[in-house]
Amino acid sequence: MMENREDLELNDRLQLIESMIAEGRRTTEKWAWTFVLWGVAYYVAIAWSAWGNATLAWPVTMIAASVVTGVVAGRIKSNKAKTTSGRAIGSVWMAMGFTLFALLMSLSVSGRYDLHVFVAIIGAMLGMANGISSMILRWKMQFACAGVWTATAVAACFTTDNQVSVIFLGAIFFCQIVFGIYGMIAESRRHGRSAAHA
Amino acid sequence: MPELPELNPVIHGKLRLALLSLLVGVEEAEFTWLRARTGSTDGNLGAQLAKLEEAGYVAVEKKFVLRKPQTLYRMTEAGRLALGEYVQAMKQLLGGAIGG
Repeated sequence: MMENREDLELNDRLQLIESMIAEGRRTTEKWAWTFVLWGVAYYVAIAWSAWGNATLAWPVTMIAASVVTGVVAGRIKSNKAKTTSGRAIGSVWMAMGFTLFALLMSLSVSGRYDLHVFVAIIGAMLGMANGISSMILRWKMQFACAGVWTATAVAACFTTDNQVSVIFLGAIFFCQIVFGIYGMIAESRRHGRSAAHA
Repeated sequence: MPELPELNPVIHGKLRLALLSLLVGVEEAEFTWLRARTGSTDGNLGAQLAKLEEAGYVAVEKKFVLRKPQTLYRMTEAGRLALGEYVQAMKQLLGGAIGG
């Protein structure tokens, strides 16, 4: 009887270890809002370049979106734990952001800017970053977004100006706005569950 | 009859075990995050973390972020080793009863 009680207590300890390890590894960071923010930033830049100053629209909007992302992320980041997978995903997006900015700025300044090249580069880079994130997180929805961005990049090479614009606007809507809102809902549900668990 | 292993008393405490298990899955964690995950009070959590620090199982780093104090905890190699040995000892003690 006594031995049984001790076994139960030890099993209880093992279950505690398992549940706490799982809790620690669960992604706690909230990043879905950045998809919505950058989706809106893309739309602002497209609208501004179409009806306003085409030279300034993209660099100014992208810098503004980067600043807003940095400030908001800095404020949200308190009360967290750092995980290796979180750092890996963050590194991919940061590297992609810097590369994309440097490349597009260089194309723009050198006068080699072309709508098809522009959409192909954005599509390829976002397809790669979403693909890596989705494989680390094992998130099918994000993997689908990676597919859409890659398809957009390929389509940009074979379509007309009007077609590529429509494809780009559609990809932003589905992979930034819709996916971002879906991610925010998923994160708030997960947060609710872990708060109840704690 | 084979000799049964002894369980490390520093780790065996339920809250200390929960803390080490949480820290093994992350690179570093804030005090507030650990408190939320364990549902512990500030005083109890601080006391148990101090015991783990004293044993050399966790390392503490205090800093200021946006003028707010932040206390970060990370598991040391000694802590990782001790938790591994603890789990092995427990499995040995449980023997056939494990998972049942």
